[in-house]
Amino acid sequence: MNSVNPSPAQSMYDVKPRMQLRLWRRKAKRLLVVLSFLAPALLLYGIFMLYPMIDAIRLSLFDWDGASPTMNFVGVDNYINLLKDGIFLQSLLHNLVWVVISLILVVIPTLVLAVMISKVRVGKLFFRSGFYLPSVISLAVVGVLWAKIYDPLMGPVNVFLQQIGLESLARNWLGEEWTVLPALVIAGTWAFYGFYLILYLAGLQNIDHSVYEAAEIDGAGPIRKFFSITIPSLRNTLNVVISMVVIYSFKGFALIWVMTQGGPFYKSEVVSTYVYKSAFSMNKVSYATAGGVLLGIIVITLTILFNYLRERRD
Amino acid sequence: MRGQLSAGRNSQVFLWVLLIVLLGIIVMPIFWVILGSFKTAFEIANYPFSLPASWNLDNLIGAWQLGNFKTYFFNSAFITVVGMIIVFLVACPAGYVFAQMTFPGNQILFYLFILGLSLPVQAIIIPVFFQLKTMGLVDSLTGITLVSVGMALPFSVFLMRNTFKDVPKELRESAYVDGAGEWRTYLKIMLPLAKPGIVALMVFTFMNIWNDFMLPLVLLISEDKYTIPLGLLSFQGNNASNYGLIFGGTLISMVPSVIVYLIFQRQFVEGMSAGSDK
Repeated sequence: MNSVNPSPAQSMYDVKPRMQLRLWRRKAKRLLVVLSFLAPALLLYGIFMLYPMIDAIRLSLFDWDGASPTMNFVGVDNYINLLKDGIFLQSLLHNLVWVVISLILVVIPTLVLAVMISKVRVGKLFFRSGFYLPSVISLAVVGVLWAKIYDPLMGPVNVFLQQIGLESLARNWLGEEWTVLPALVIAGTWAFYGFYLILYLAGLQNIDHSVYEAAEIDGAGPIRKFFSITIPSLRNTLNVVISMVVIYSFKGFALIWVMTQGGPFYKSEVVSTYVYKSAFSMNKVSYATAGGVLLGIIVITLTILFNYLRERRD
Repeated sequence: MRGQLSAGRNSQVFLWVLLIVLLGIIVMPIFWVILGSFKTAFEIANYPFSLPASWNLDNLIGAWQLGNFKTYFFNSAFITVVGMIIVFLVACPAGYVFAQMTFPGNQILFYLFILGLSLPVQAIIIPVFFQLKTMGLVDSLTGITLVSVGMALPFSVFLMRNTFKDVPKELRESAYVDGAGEWRTYLKIMLPLAKPGIVALMVFTFMNIWNDFMLPLVLLISEDKYTIPLGLLSFQGNNASNYGLIFGGTLISMVPSVIVYLIFQRQFVEGMSAGSDK
């Protein structure tokens, strides 16, 4: 090909675009290969998550009941009305109460349990699997089960209280204003703590044992070791556990829906149940969407915050 | 020295007994359901904490027949198995690309996927419902399977990216130099190396789809499309006063995920611990 053309200048002029073409072609081919790996995932994710995210924001700016052919643009009115809506604010408050109670029930007790399992020599795996078992069951099934546990007449909680002579304490746990939320959080903790237990056990495995030995030589007791070695060494794990407890307290839906549907009189209503009700039984579709978007913003902000705290320390 | 040893031993025994007692308390609700499924209504009402007088199967059989559990079971199995296959086919190559290939936009696209990782379903469930409605896929097993896969992808892609990150890049390069194309390299060399991660991915996907409640609640309408968790709820509503039947239905609903967990617990636990520290 080159031998026909004696002039070097001309050959340069000729070859360069050709090389470029080849380079471009190789790039295009490479992009096609990458796309062939990526496209199916992008497509499914795009259709069923990314597009709905954008659509949620769009929908939340309109007034729509889900059926009528017309939609009125109302700007941020839905958001303003939500912040004026007593039930929505109450739901948000219940989420916060949920955060506080489950942090108390989960963070330290599960850590103590994890330390105990990591110390036991016989049957470690048996205990790990056994304690994790509740987390395997569908939350809807957990809800049906725990609703029966709290049953005012035949539920084992009340039956047990009667048998030990404390029937004055027996009550309709899911039917009373002050007991319904704690009762729900206890059921939720039963269903979720196993997950945190596994995270703790993984974290504990990474602690250098020589630190404990050194502390023992210095005469540190088990409680001292727990607070001055175990907890500081588990900082990252603790951050992950706390962030997940907080986030799941906002995401929770199935358990509450199955056990109380937010009742009695909105006393266990949380944002997710309120959003569901508003959309699918009250036909306030765009209003509910705005509530869902707010929930999404809250959860993503919290996620970013906890990630930031974790990375800043590293 | 001997005193120390036996002290250590005593505290081991103490620890072990304490753990057994705690475990007993934790799993009590599960045993309560198991025992209750074999009891008569009379026994449940009068002896809530006792063993059943005889192990009769009336509750289990009754729940299975009355409660349509056969249909629910089939629906759950369909959505879960098809969902797992699609997740495998779709998430593994994507995770592989993000872990091993450099191309413009790699980072941005990955973050786009991660964006969905912590997003609560409630934030998008309403637009998803109306989107499926226009696609004619509300109250259809196909529709809910596709949505379940789409929503499982952020975590799945994330997990597979971490798995493929642990495979040395040189392996891929040397296969490439030997003349194997990208897909051949992926299928013949990389995929087999990622097997532990893939097993974990499959167990996670099973648990998430099988146990899911919100998507079936919103996207399935007629009873013959219900999955087990949703079916149990309506079964409970229809038989509120028959405790024996509810125990039977609850037990039937618990068994599949418990069995899958007991078989794959090692992979499950390892996948979970690995996913958390990255």
